[in-house]
Amino acid sequence: MDELVIAGRSFGSRLLVGTGKFASPAVMAEALEASGAEIVTVALRRVDIDNENDDTLAAIDRDKYLLLVNTSGARDAEEAVRLARLARAATDIEWLKLEVTPDPYYLLPDPVETLKATEILVKDGFIVLPYINADPILSKRLEDAGTATVMPLASPIGSNQGIKTRSAIEIIIEQSQVPVVVDAGLGLPSHAAEAMEMGADAVLVNTAIATAAAPVAMAGAFKSAVEAGRTAYLSGPAAAGRQASASSPLTGFLRD
Amino acid sequence: MSFPGAFGRGVMQILKVNGIEKEFADGAFPGTLSALLDSLDVNAATVVAEVAGSIVRREEFGRTILEPGQRVELIRLMGGG
Repeated sequence: MDELVIAGRSFGSRLLVGTGKFASPAVMAEALEASGAEIVTVALRRVDIDNENDDTLAAIDRDKYLLLVNTSGARDAEEAVRLARLARAATDIEWLKLEVTPDPYYLLPDPVETLKATEILVKDGFIVLPYINADPILSKRLEDAGTATVMPLASPIGSNQGIKTRSAIEIIIEQSQVPVVVDAGLGLPSHAAEAMEMGADAVLVNTAIATAAAPVAMAGAFKSAVEAGRTAYLSGPAAAGRQASASSPLTGFLRD
Repeated sequence: MSFPGAFGRGVMQILKVNGIEKEFADGAFPGTLSALLDSLDVNAATVVAEVAGSIVRREEFGRTILEPGQRVELIRLMGGG
């Protein structure tokens, strides 16, 4: 597959995988391997000081995967910037999945606060990958502010509904000068393939893999779907039409 | 000098750790961030901290002096999407 380039760095895989909701660190590690992902998202949370347990992320090989820390839990730009700086101190990585989600029910991203945080973080040297609603104008505003990608949602986080924002994502893909990563709501490999066939540069999947009955096998299915979708996009899909168009020759029939 | 409290305790010193008030008896107050992590049995290798609003990197835990009443946040990477 052709390489994905984000902020000057090349990746062989166009599938980004989240590390939440896995039944165990071992299953997570195996699923990451099967997915072929090179970028994996993680979160920052308070240590549970009354119930100290093992570091569940010890199972991630940090030489193999680029850790993309998210700012999940941030409700405004100020909280996101604070989390971003903690993330950088924890990992020495400047790559950041910016998410600002004040609404606890649909976890929809706040466009105003996301843009505000982006402006601060880009100046501060972060490589910002913002999670956004599928809004083409916001997408351009973020690109102008210096984000490394835009990551429009297909449908609400963890909902597995598939691509409900198709026409807006099509506009974003058409207009974007930075890679478009379709994030959130992709519930099946066919959804991921659809995004790739539309011309998305990559997809990010977590819940659909982590909560499948067989997460490792599902990770492999998403890998195949992303590769198939990308190849289809690059192959120039044939035009769709309303009427039939014979696949077999319309001459030489055995009749007079 | 210490004065026994209403319930017969000595003077307690407090740190607010991850939003929870932790009391330390006189003499048991952790002098540094490293000492606090030890007393809580938290593996420092995977933690980043914030003391009184300022980020403290792991390398600085041993020389970060804690004062009673400070707010300490201990944060680590977790699985997330």
